[in-house]
Amino acid sequence: MECVAAGSIMVSDWHRSPDSREFFRRILHKKQRRKFGLLEAPVMPPHLKADVVRYKVFLSGKSGVGKTTLAARLGGLDMPNVHYETTGMETSVVFWPVKLRESGRTLFFHFQLWDCGENAMRRFDHMLPSCKEHVDAILFLFSFTDRGSFEDLANQISQIMEPSDRLVRLVVGTKFDLFMHTDVTERDITRFQEVWGVPVFRVGGDVSGGFGEIAPLLNALAENLWHQDCMQASTLVPSYPGQIGPEIIV
Amino acid sequence: MLHSQSVQLLCLTASSGVPLFSRGSAKPLPFSIIGSLNGVHMFGMGHDASLSCCETDRGGRVLWRVFHDSLMLIGASSNAEVSELHLRRLLENAWNCMVLVLGLDELANVRNVERLKRELRSCYRLIDMLLERGVDDLDCDGDQGLMGDLTHCTDCILLPQPDLLQETLESFTRAAESEFGCLLVRGRLAVATEKWWRLAPQELILLSAIANLPPGKTSCDYPVFLPQGSPNVALRLMCFQLLPGAIACVLCGPKPSLHQVENEQVCCFWSPVVDNLRSSLDQVERSPLYPSITFNRDVLCLLLINRDSRKSVASLGPTCSKSPPPLSPARRWEILRLFYTFAVTRYFTSEETPNSWCPPSDPLHEEFSSGFTHLPVHCYLLTDECKCYAVQTPQHQLFLLTDLSVPTFALRSVATHTLDVITTATGF
Ligand SMILES: Nc1nc2c(ncn2[C@@H]2O[C@H](COP(=O)(O)OP(=O)(O)O)[C@@H](O)[C@H]2O)c(=O)[nH]1
Ligand SMILES: [Mg+2]
Repeated sequence: MECVAAGSIMVSDWHRSPDSREFFRRILHKKQRRKFGLLEAPVMPPHLKADVVRYKVFLSGKSGVGKTTLAARLGGLDMPNVHYETTGMETSVVFWPVKLRESGRTLFFHFQLWDCGENAMRRFDHMLPSCKEHVDAILFLFSFTDRGSFEDLANQISQIMEPSDRLVRLVVGTKFDLFMHTDVTERDITRFQEVWGVPVFRVGGDVSGGFGEIAPLLNALAENLWHQDCMQASTLVPSYPGQIGPEIIV
Repeated sequence: MLHSQSVQLLCLTASSGVPLFSRGSAKPLPFSIIGSLNGVHMFGMGHDASLSCCETDRGGRVLWRVFHDSLMLIGASSNAEVSELHLRRLLENAWNCMVLVLGLDELANVRNVERLKRELRSCYRLIDMLLERGVDDLDCDGDQGLMGDLTHCTDCILLPQPDLLQETLESFTRAAESEFGCLLVRGRLAVATEKWWRLAPQELILLSAIANLPPGKTSCDYPVFLPQGSPNVALRLMCFQLLPGAIACVLCGPKPSLHQVENEQVCCFWSPVVDNLRSSLDQVERSPLYPSITFNRDVLCLLLINRDSRKSVASLGPTCSKSPPPLSPARRWEILRLFYTFAVTRYFTSEETPNSWCPPSDPLHEEFSSGFTHLPVHCYLLTDECKCYAVQTPQHQLFLLTDLSVPTFALRSVATHTLDVITTATGF
């Protein structure tokens, strides 16, 4: 899947513009990110209708690379202060509002992030297939403090993806805040992007609460998923890609 | 106030004393001390003596226990408020956690110590959660009032109208191709299928604990071994956070997948009862007992156990304490745990059937009971913070804290009345 240029389908930095405020307000609660149960979704007043589109996103990378932390970060939580090996598969939900550039239509992306502990994946055969079942996108993680994890990316991608898979792929470099110890240079990253045609995102450090840090990654994810669906549905009218979620009260 | 730091848990291989992990204390014990702790135990074994517990005159305590001739757990504490029962439960629970996550075979037949060490890391979250129960309650207010780790009875919430949720749970469980399902509300069992109730109490407690998803998570699929029911074949525990704090769990075989249940069944079954879920969440905020029950204004908190079904409910009382300084909820829970321990180790001792590994340790510290064959059914304790009273009947045990202002002679009637009111209203 070719990656789309940032901002070509959706309004980039929409979280900064005033007309997004009503939408972002629905994913906040007392200045923190709002926690949603599986029966909940943000609800907009009738004049600001926004459909919910659901996607499954798998976080891949070896133990300790920062999968669980990334999932927490995208959900607006701070880094857990103790590292626990994830005991199996866990999912978390992130709602993210976007505005389509052409139609001006607003949507809530519902990302279901799948995180699986490496030990468990090794011990139990059903884990990886389950993570890949109906998956729409994979984030491949490496850590800026571990060159091995960067060099292993190609390997990782080919192990997890079948050539026939039509999936959105993005690469995320974690622990970018520990740049003093970084093992991976800007040149490495540029080269990787050229060779693979996959964008690389950098994350790290505490979540300061703002959307600025996670917006580029979430927007890219949304944009590419939307694009992928439009391409697949191009024989049909590309109006309702994604799985429209049930309308639920909050 | 206790802190999780005051208890330390060590795990070593039983035969060679290789340390596998240590949890609890911010400052791990030096290797030489771990070596000595292991050494004295070995020395005993060499002389046909099994060392199970030792105590210093300032309240420090060490407990040893070897599981399946394979691994040794050592619990150590320097805090006099940490009882022997507390440490004993900790070792049992920690072992059960390890079996739950890794399976018995992996632990009973250690083939590769380095690999086992790595795999044991998967147990840390669960073990730490139990280490923090009852200590340091201030940090984890969500856990407040959960007692199952100590009582080995399942923490429950009593819903006035459970039928609709019960039916929903049963259909949901069937749709997930399972017979084992439950609904947890803030860590307390609200409704469960009949088969779920047939799991061993220790398993129920661990399942409730592990189902308490890490922050931000909305569902999980964990491989679990049941320490009693299925120690060598993993099942799958799937948990779904329906609303923040309300979690539906099912125990499944290889099918169906997490994706399938989450996307096809969760909303379909649970959305229609979302209001019932919300009101049970509201209820537990106030009390896990029926909102209609009013008990004596001076009750600070209580723990009620059904001895047959091994279920329990614990609740804070209606008022703040009047006596200065007022007792914080965290302190009330802490004293309740201490009083429970006091009562079951000294008076209601039948609860504490000594296991084969642990010979009845100096059965009672109380002189008087040694000459009697009857069992105490009431006991009380006065402290400078509150008054404590316990009643036991063939069916129930009630442990109760009251404000200091309650006259001591009235404690008995407050307690029996409270027991009556609750059991009559709820049928618990
Ligand atoms: N400084 C820093 N530490 C991180 C970052 N991401 C993860 N970590 C730390 O790396 C360790 C492993 O992270 P975790 O997310 O649990 O890894 P996982 O095994 O891939 O799920 C934890 O101690 C985290 O605190 C980051 O962006 N910055
Ligand atoms: Mg993890």
